[in-house]
Amino acid sequence: MGNLMEPWKLEPARDTGLTPSERFRSVRRESGLLESLAHHVCFSMLRSYFAIAHRLTIIGRDKLPAHGPFVLAANHCSHLDALILGAALTPRHRERAFPIAAGDVFFQSNVTSTFSAIMLNALPMWRKNCGPHALADLRRKLQEEKAIFIIFPEGGRSRTGSMMPFKHGLGMLVAQTNVPVVPCGLVGTFEALPPHRRLPQPVAIKLVLGDALQFASTANDRTGWSQIAAQVESSVGDLVTQSRTA
Amino acid sequence: MSQVTRERLFGFRHAFDDRVTVVLTLTALILLLLAPLLIFVVTRAANSTSDKRKELWDRYRSWIWLALFILIPILAGAFWTILGVATLSFLCYREYARITGLFRERTISLIVVIGILFITFAALDNWYRLFVALFPLTVALIATGGLIPDQPKGYIQRVGLGVLGFALFGSALGNLGYMANDWNYRPILLLIIFAVELNDIFAYICGYLFGHRKFVPNTSPNKTVAGALGAIVLTTPLFALGAHFVWFGTALDTPVRLLGLGVIVSVVGQFGDLMLSSIKRDLGLKDTAKLIPGHGGILDRFDSLILVAPAMFHYVNYFVGFAAGQPQQIFSGWEI
Repeated sequence: MGNLMEPWKLEPARDTGLTPSERFRSVRRESGLLESLAHHVCFSMLRSYFAIAHRLTIIGRDKLPAHGPFVLAANHCSHLDALILGAALTPRHRERAFPIAAGDVFFQSNVTSTFSAIMLNALPMWRKNCGPHALADLRRKLQEEKAIFIIFPEGGRSRTGSMMPFKHGLGMLVAQTNVPVVPCGLVGTFEALPPHRRLPQPVAIKLVLGDALQFASTANDRTGWSQIAAQVESSVGDLVTQSRTA
Repeated sequence: MSQVTRERLFGFRHAFDDRVTVVLTLTALILLLLAPLLIFVVTRAANSTSDKRKELWDRYRSWIWLALFILIPILAGAFWTILGVATLSFLCYREYARITGLFRERTISLIVVIGILFITFAALDNWYRLFVALFPLTVALIATGGLIPDQPKGYIQRVGLGVLGFALFGSALGNLGYMANDWNYRPILLLIIFAVELNDIFAYICGYLFGHRKFVPNTSPNKTVAGALGAIVLTTPLFALGAHFVWFGTALDTPVRLLGLGVIVSVVGQFGDLMLSSIKRDLGLKDTAKLIPGHGGILDRFDSLILVAPAMFHYVNYFVGFAAGQPQQIFSGWEI
């Protein structure tokens, strides 16, 4: 005795101790083997679907960082948006990619939350009572797990097709960190599936990626967050107008 | 596929051919019917808190589901039984991989899953040589798979965890599935599961009534020497009696050999329990998951069964063997 071995470094899944339905809604969720397979299959199929039905063109794919953590921030006018950004990632990225989705739409019932978690690997953002600690959890996850977040900083789908002002929640995720934000402009998704329609139309869709933005020296406070929101908003806006005219 | 095989795999009409099956199934149903009454009386008498009462009812409701998940496949046929055991293996491995963090090692997890699939096939096929070969082969594959990331740091840990996971939930639990190749598998499996669960309950009751001296306070503070001994004293004769009817007139059917089997089930069952306690304590967890209300995870419920399965399989195999007279290599043995 007295000469016991050094302990192994065992790290249980961060979602240990949650019931299945709590787990699907939790930011701490970590995918297992089957779930990863489900995301891969789902996004590979979506990729083929977008290529065939929407002749999806992706411009500037080389702007994606080689690995996480990073954030994809895009304009939002359709349920197709998150699917397109997820499908645009390489298979190696997809493992750690999480679309941040509205809790009241995608995580309200057990059926939708199971689907959102298993197929899309989505994380919920509760729009009504989203306290600062929900964003703090996401901020931590982003860095600790080298995650990739797909975010729509407008906070909802545009009902007119034109971009709404960006909210500063995005700033709270990345201010004073080395996490790059890749601005993404989506064109055609409003025409393909506007909020009032149920089924998508075969309209051509274009995704343009911009140069990654860094906010390591932007203060992690209210002014810093607004500054980040404004800067990303103008980049995304430029990408959208640029690709509309092109 | 021969008529005999088909009848064994899918012949639910034979469900109650054996008296022991009838007795055990009826006992289970009677216990489930009487339990609500007992809970009602106990909670009234003990004036227990609503939390305690809710926990008892949660446990009871979960037991109904567990009983159905155990009884229906076993009664329905060997095919469903083997699939049921495979499901149990996967669920147990999943919980184990998540609490140890092994699930992040995708290659190793995939190899363990494939290993469990092959074990299941070997059991369905009644191919004993493959069944035996799968343990060393899968271990070799895990040791090889651990090389893939080209990161020696943590190699022993990930390979070690993978091998332990496959040994416990693929290989050891797989013995339970392989037993279904015996024509008379129903009473055998029901007897094991019954004995192991009763063993837990006996240990709890004896510990509650007579327990003073702690057994292994660091591993499981609630276990007492009296509980452990009491469980052996009570489980052994009960199991031996059941086994006497199951293996009537065979080489196993002598008092010493039957009691020996009973002792194995009781002692090894308790070791399985302690094994999971050690794993959880090493990780600083109370339960392995929150899947079954009132019980915790699948592993928390079936821990005692894991080590009993191989011990009992090989003990019986030494004296009488399983699957006597059953066609072998049902699927793989076809002449081409």
